[in-house]
Amino acid sequence: MDADFPLPDVAWPPARPFWEGAARGALRIPRCDACARFVWYPDTPCRWCGGTRLTWRDVSGRGRLFSWSVVRHAWIPQVADRLPFVTGLVALEEDPAVRLVTYVVDCVPEDLRCDLPVRVVFRPLGYPGVERTVIAPMFTPADT
Amino acid sequence: MPTAHTTDWGFASELEDVGGAVAIVGIGDADYTRASGRTTHEIAAQATERALADAGLRPSDIDGLMYVPFSGDQFTARDFHAHFGTSHDLWKSERGGGMVWAGSAPHDAALAIRSGRATCVLNTFAVAWATQRSQMVGGPGQVHAEDAFKRNLEVPFGWFPQPVYFATIARRHMHEFGTTAEQLGAIAVACRRHAGLTPGAVMRDRPLSLADYLASPPIADPFRKEDCCLISDGGAAYIMTSLERARDLRQPVVAVLGVGVGNSRTGAYWSQQRAFTSTPQVFAAPGAFAMAGLAPSDVDVLACYDPFTIVSLMQIEDMGFCPKGAGGPFVAGERLHFDTGTLPYNTHGGMLSHAYVLGIAHVVEIVRQLRHQAGAQVRDAEIGVYGGYTGPQASTLVLARR
Repeated sequence: MDADFPLPDVAWPPARPFWEGAARGALRIPRCDACARFVWYPDTPCRWCGGTRLTWRDVSGRGRLFSWSVVRHAWIPQVADRLPFVTGLVALEEDPAVRLVTYVVDCVPEDLRCDLPVRVVFRPLGYPGVERTVIAPMFTPADT
Repeated sequence: MPTAHTTDWGFASELEDVGGAVAIVGIGDADYTRASGRTTHEIAAQATERALADAGLRPSDIDGLMYVPFSGDQFTARDFHAHFGTSHDLWKSERGGGMVWAGSAPHDAALAIRSGRATCVLNTFAVAWATQRSQMVGGPGQVHAEDAFKRNLEVPFGWFPQPVYFATIARRHMHEFGTTAEQLGAIAVACRRHAGLTPGAVMRDRPLSLADYLASPPIADPFRKEDCCLISDGGAAYIMTSLERARDLRQPVVAVLGVGVGNSRTGAYWSQQRAFTSTPQVFAAPGAFAMAGLAPSDVDVLACYDPFTIVSLMQIEDMGFCPKGAGGPFVAGERLHFDTGTLPYNTHGGMLSHAYVLGIAHVVEIVRQLRHQAGAQVRDAEIGVYGGYTGPQASTLVLARR
């Protein structure tokens, strides 16, 4: 396991624009130049048409909570001081086929339901034993 | 915004018709334990010795060997020869082992036997993840943490490891179909009851009632620990040969009637799978049943790869034992029990309560059921099915007493 586990490597080329966008408060997702569909995860060939070039676009940051879990057990020790936490999938408004894995924050877990409207917020993400932090897109119920 | 239950998210592998070509003539369990300090080679060798004894065969009779290279420490030809002191030629395939391959290995073995490359093929799988977990290496999460997309876009958000993935899938299944905790619990209770009747099951002396299940605290909503598989040391082996030769061996003949393999186009990225609450059994099972000339309603005993209760429930739906979405009411009560149920399921206890050896013990159990030698024996069992699963793939193996 790398030393910064479980923080992301923001310089990893396939997702670097995602983290650069988050650092300036923008949610960015790549779109296929050939078919204009969003492609997630950010990898080629395009899963829809086989296209080989992607261009990153800003998206609204609105979506719906596709599903989630309230995690109450630390399968990895680095998350122990976050328990309980809500992690899940958000389907983007621009294309619900894109599901972002995210933390759901500023919420009452009992009030969550599938397809709840949510919006992006950008928060510092850090873990014990890792010096740096990363600004990461997280989601919160849209009416808060 | 319903999940798309369309069929464009995966596909069936093209397989040759091997119905009736081979039989499983020897089965062997290694000891199933918590952390034991054993190596996978020791475990696989023990399972192999027992499978040979069960079949009445000698090590030199084995001329084909199957395993999966996935964890780098499986029972290879070199290990086989080193253990048994043999040196003869072996047909080798890395498309064996546990998980989906525990169900599809008989297809490849049948082709090898049909073409004369082998006459008697051994398939083994072993894990020592209980031992390795206490040393903080290996284990089922590691392969996922090492995938760059997961490592950088899932793990940082706490969506890791597998219990969290499948809790999220279970939550969505509950939303789409009204599935309840009581229904998931019915699966765990049936499996535990079967483990109680199965010699060697890790949870043999740990009874579980539905009330016990519901009183257990959630660890990743909606999962309790009883929804999740064990972490075990153990393994198993089975030996295949032609149907003709099987009739001359000592055990009742259990023939391979059908094999099917299905694939998800999003691989192991569960987060992006279009039909989020389905498994590639949708694509695997129809081909296997067609090859066998049978239907799900013909099945006397079923065993599915069951890392989590929801994976059992989804496969039961996706293999056609009930309509999609009806799995919750279907499994409720005692439907899955070996004696009072109409679909006896994981009659050894499965990975939830027997041992987490990734499906190979399921195939051994189905063979044992069809020989009428099982602990929780299904009366007059004639047709048995194994459902294998890895996430990216699923397999269906139809077996019959002959």
